[in-house]
Amino acid sequence: MNEKHETEKVSRRYFVTACSALAGGVALGVWGCQSIEQQKALDGTKPGPYPLADAENIIHSTCLQCNTQCTLKVKLQDGLVTKIDGNPYGPDTLWPQLPFATPPQEAVAVDSAICPKGQAGVQTIYDPYRVRRVLKRAGARGSNKWRSISFKQAIKEISEGGQLFADIGEKRVVPGFKEVIKLRDPKLAKELAADVGAIRSGKMTVEGFKAKHSAHLDLLIDPDHPDLGPKNNQFVLQGGRISPDREIITKRFTFGSLGSVNWFGHTTICEQAHHVAFMYSLAQWQGKDDKFSWAKGPNHMKPDYTRAEFVIFWGTGFNEANFGPTSLSPRVSRAIVDGRLKIAVIDPRLSKSAAKGWWIPVNPNGNLALAMAMTRWIIDNQRYDEKFLRNANKAAANAAGEKSWTNATWLVNPKTGKFLRAAEANVGTANQFVALVRGAPVAVDPAETKTPVVGDLDVAATINGIAVSSSFRLLKDAAAVKSLAEYAEIAGLPATQIEALAREFTNHGKKAAIDFYRGPIKTTFGYYTAQAIIILNFLIGNVDHVGGFMKGGGAWDGTGGKPGQPFPIAKLHPHALTPFGIKLTRESSGPYETCTLFKRDGYPAKRPWFPFTDDVYQEVIPAANAGYPYPIKILWLHYGTPAMAAPAGHLQIKMLQDTAKIPLFIATDIVIGETSMYADYIFPDLSYLERWSNPLGTSPVVLTQISKFRQPVTAPITEIVTIDGEEMPISLDAILIALAKRLGVSGFGKDAFAPGQNLNRPEDFYLKMVANLAAGDKPGDGVPGANAAEMKLFRQSRRHLPKAVFDEQKWQAAVGGHWPQVAYLLNRGGRFEAASGAYKDGFANHPWANQLNIYVEPVGSGIHAGKGQRFSGVPIYQEFESFDGKPVSFPKEFDLALITYKEIHGCESRTIGNYAAQMAIMPENFVNLSKIDAQRLGLVDGDTVRVEGAGFKGIFELGPGQAPSKVEGKVRVVQGLRPGVVSISFHYGHWAYGAREVEIDGQRIPGERARSKGLAPNAAMAVDGYLKDVCLTDPIAGDSAFTGTRIKLVKIA
Amino acid sequence: MDRRSFLKISGLIGGTLGAADLLTIGDALANPAADRNASLPVLDRVKAEPGEDVLIRMQRELVRAMNKPLEKRRWGMVIDTRKCVGCHSCNVGCIMENKLPPGVVYRPVIDTEVGSYPNVGRRFLPRPCMQCDNPPCVPVCPVKATWKRLDGVVVIDYNVCIGCRYCITACPYQARTFDFGENWDNNAAHGNDGGLALQTCRKYEQEPSFEYGAIWHRGEGVIPKSPVGNARKCTFCVHRLEHRQLPMCVTTCLGRATLFGDLNDPTTLVSQQTVQNNAVSLKPELGTEPKTRYLL
Repeated sequence: MNEKHETEKVSRRYFVTACSALAGGVALGVWGCQSIEQQKALDGTKPGPYPLADAENIIHSTCLQCNTQCTLKVKLQDGLVTKIDGNPYGPDTLWPQLPFATPPQEAVAVDSAICPKGQAGVQTIYDPYRVRRVLKRAGARGSNKWRSISFKQAIKEISEGGQLFADIGEKRVVPGFKEVIKLRDPKLAKELAADVGAIRSGKMTVEGFKAKHSAHLDLLIDPDHPDLGPKNNQFVLQGGRISPDREIITKRFTFGSLGSVNWFGHTTICEQAHHVAFMYSLAQWQGKDDKFSWAKGPNHMKPDYTRAEFVIFWGTGFNEANFGPTSLSPRVSRAIVDGRLKIAVIDPRLSKSAAKGWWIPVNPNGNLALAMAMTRWIIDNQRYDEKFLRNANKAAANAAGEKSWTNATWLVNPKTGKFLRAAEANVGTANQFVALVRGAPVAVDPAETKTPVVGDLDVAATINGIAVSSSFRLLKDAAAVKSLAEYAEIAGLPATQIEALAREFTNHGKKAAIDFYRGPIKTTFGYYTAQAIIILNFLIGNVDHVGGFMKGGGAWDGTGGKPGQPFPIAKLHPHALTPFGIKLTRESSGPYETCTLFKRDGYPAKRPWFPFTDDVYQEVIPAANAGYPYPIKILWLHYGTPAMAAPAGHLQIKMLQDTAKIPLFIATDIVIGETSMYADYIFPDLSYLERWSNPLGTSPVVLTQISKFRQPVTAPITEIVTIDGEEMPISLDAILIALAKRLGVSGFGKDAFAPGQNLNRPEDFYLKMVANLAAGDKPGDGVPGANAAEMKLFRQSRRHLPKAVFDEQKWQAAVGGHWPQVAYLLNRGGRFEAASGAYKDGFANHPWANQLNIYVEPVGSGIHAGKGQRFSGVPIYQEFESFDGKPVSFPKEFDLALITYKEIHGCESRTIGNYAAQMAIMPENFVNLSKIDAQRLGLVDGDTVRVEGAGFKGIFELGPGQAPSKVEGKVRVVQGLRPGVVSISFHYGHWAYGAREVEIDGQRIPGERARSKGLAPNAAMAVDGYLKDVCLTDPIAGDSAFTGTRIKLVKIA
Repeated sequence: MDRRSFLKISGLIGGTLGAADLLTIGDALANPAADRNASLPVLDRVKAEPGEDVLIRMQRELVRAMNKPLEKRRWGMVIDTRKCVGCHSCNVGCIMENKLPPGVVYRPVIDTEVGSYPNVGRRFLPRPCMQCDNPPCVPVCPVKATWKRLDGVVVIDYNVCIGCRYCITACPYQARTFDFGENWDNNAAHGNDGGLALQTCRKYEQEPSFEYGAIWHRGEGVIPKSPVGNARKCTFCVHRLEHRQLPMCVTTCLGRATLFGDLNDPTTLVSQQTVQNNAVSLKPELGTEPKTRYLL
């Protein structure tokens, strides 16, 4: 508001005041002219209108302002979303929640809590910069010049390819989907896949393969390396926020319809080391038809916050980020204030959570040292639960009154990294393991329920000439490489504090646990750090115990894999292709050593291989740019922004502009984003409150079973188009349907699921999964159908939705006879087990009750593709290193360690349009600096500084005609930050998302300057010194290193 | 002539205009302002027991209070700073609920750092209207547009308020702000729908708010529409209370730090908490007798 405007208004008021004074009795007269109704309401004598309290103006759905995905109660006025609250049926927003049987007409009276991002979601769905029509590039990539074209035309162009940009002087022929999706025969795909498997396992030679398939070699990327797979793999789908949101339908399309292996989520810029370490720490030895292997376990466990006595939040908390404040804050706050729970928060920054407990300001690079120090202290002082650890199989656990057991006593051959097999010790088979029981080797069958094996814990021996150690002994040895004092030095904490922390942690029996997420693990040794923290939990035997460490209530199976569920989605895909070959990022693609590229290149591999992980997000575009392991043709970026969100992601801007390396680049997005702005085509997508999602689970914060989903709440913002006679808004789903139909591939369209079961509309797909939830996980687990009153409400609350979205007959047709049960769930926004189902007999009612690994055999026997050396099966102390194993060092002038964090009002890159939250609470972010450093550097509050890294000058280019983006921000001097550390939050420093001017159809559309405020720190993050085109990366988990970089601050104003 | 002058004149000539705000669209009127049931059956579905979500307990107490005559209720709020997690959800929820424009803030959350490294703390303090028993904002109003209701809520009659802002100055808690008629997206691109949905995505802003149980279509212009041009403040969401719903800052409080209820009923959570020995008022020396108190 400018001053003049204000002055004018003031004078108007004065004028009015004067009038009333002059007129004497005017003030009295005012009453006469007011509506009597209005006056009654003001006096509180009669309720006024409040449509938001009416059930017919409510639809329950699920948030996506962050990936916690809380349950929502969305309120409509005249068909528009104006208010969002928590869904009182959901245990994440009300606890205990309303009984599931509560009729929605009654439930409407109760509102429950949702975080500020959730509250501000209205401004995400109604962001004026939402894309409405398909935009096609009308200038060089990144020039921000667009023209809108029809959906039909766009689908045609990307399908057929050709000289698509001839009008702007680009003569090159752009490959379309038709050219890339070469392999179309499912039978042949299966045969080729099997024979490539044979090459990988050494049972077939490349020559043999070529001879056998000589007629089809043209379908392969490289006939000399058939294991790279078919040309179809040159289609790549890179999803930002795709999982679990719309994971199932996009995988169906990528794998089964197009036969490409290249589907990627975003997890390695999130918390992948956490997930990978959990999945391996909880991996189980499973056999099928005499073939045994390690089956990865769930990716998440959490403390039982409300019954624990001591919880360590390690690089995370309960009031910001994590999973997430809406469910965590009420549980943890109550437990603390009631005096039941004590918390410690390990974080270089005094977070909102650290402010509520014992703050331990660790050195950002010292988390692994701290975990190893605690491990060492606990072992040295025998503060571990020996009885728990010694149970070597299920029978032993059961006999000891436990649910889970460990492999702590299993013997490992350190030479191979593998467990000693019972056959090697002459005590059993090759699929059994060995523990010493009072010194004698005994076969261990982990799932065995009849013969308990209670092994010797801290042992080494030589058996049949093989030197072996127990898993526990290996852990002990790994922790002993440094003294407590040495660890303390690295962690930047007094040894006494580490001891105090370890003592407190081990002082509560099983009623203590450590929570962590991404904070401590975003570094090149993140996997080992995560594993060490998980093992600290195992050491006190807290798994499954009330007050201990829990796997959560889980979810109902939405994919229809359980007996009695009506729609087994994965199986309902006739003529699906079998995707095969090496993934672009070499993730989940087996060991490097079995690939034909190993024979060609040896060690070091040209780029990292990631057999233990997937979704290596930061590597997708650099790999395409490097053409390793093969060049790509089409990149589809969905709801993602790697250029902004990945560390050193700005390097990808140049790669994306190279039309030779990425010949066709399409994006689906709700706005023109920081990365989608480089696309050839942007297809508008629906926001989270205009569309469906697949069924969603919840983090283990919720101890009861919970399944939720998104459903259309408000009329679509995107253009409504007709696909094959069906009207629908443009969305990711609409594009999949249109493209699949145009290409004539399987899995979509007529008879997509089975004869007579078509996939012509999004609900044909999504509602089937809701029907699976309604049927439950076993016969007899079904929900009731909606009665007449509920059906009436169901229709009435969707009266504002256009027919292109809601046509009851079509919705009903998608699920047939299951419709009343489906409507019952849609009316409640999900399916929720009663809150009373959390505990049973001192344990979790939904326990893990399975194996816990101290030693991880798959990792311990795997090889680093850069160094050619084996990884470790137990956590080992490591330092920051590049792909070739060289330690990362920074010139001395880079004297500050950079860390990042999330404010509760923001997600990484998609909340800048939230005027009422992010922009109002904190219009810009800051370069937070400790008082001690500020004094040393002569900086004060409000100074503007440039953030420079080794090789990064604080500025980067965006493309033709664009002013460069500067990593500059204001200093905020704080006390609550470890000296030597700079913390910078995400959410700011935008160069798109409405922050800058764009041109569409020749019209200038100005940006909103407020959106460009603050800074995004990612560009200052260290680049791998060997690869030079991607950030430093954890070789096991593939996690990108957000921590470890050193920077300097240059004062500019 | 602005709307207020118009209203006043019409008042002088004894007209009965002024119902314009009620003659509005769609859903609001489809929901007639009928008297609500004396009970909410949903609350009977949840067992009243220790460990229940305080939101349910407080809503039960609210229903009980609403069944009493207005003058027998005495609304009060207690904010437990130990449970306040500084999330700002109350602040944002309030903005969305009452459709507050930029600059109008009913419930800021103040985040203060205390101490020096490594002995540092952070304190979070939501600061709504104190709903004082002796509200300094009331006597300074030249047109008697603001007063304390019988149930303890200090209200503003937007149709009487002349926007002089004396009350804003008088409030020792900075609980009142002025509505200058701004919109959140004033500085974003404007135009017709085309490649972007510049127009459609603004429609929601035209929807009315329901403060004080009335329908308010904000509007700037030659004839501004209240509450543009008015002093504004927290209302304890009286429009929700009438529908047996707790204030928005209470229902969306993540830490369950905000307690609300009838101080005249000794069994309510808020009555019990307000007498704890760690309960304090802000600036008690001013004698304002706040009905919003804090637990430290």
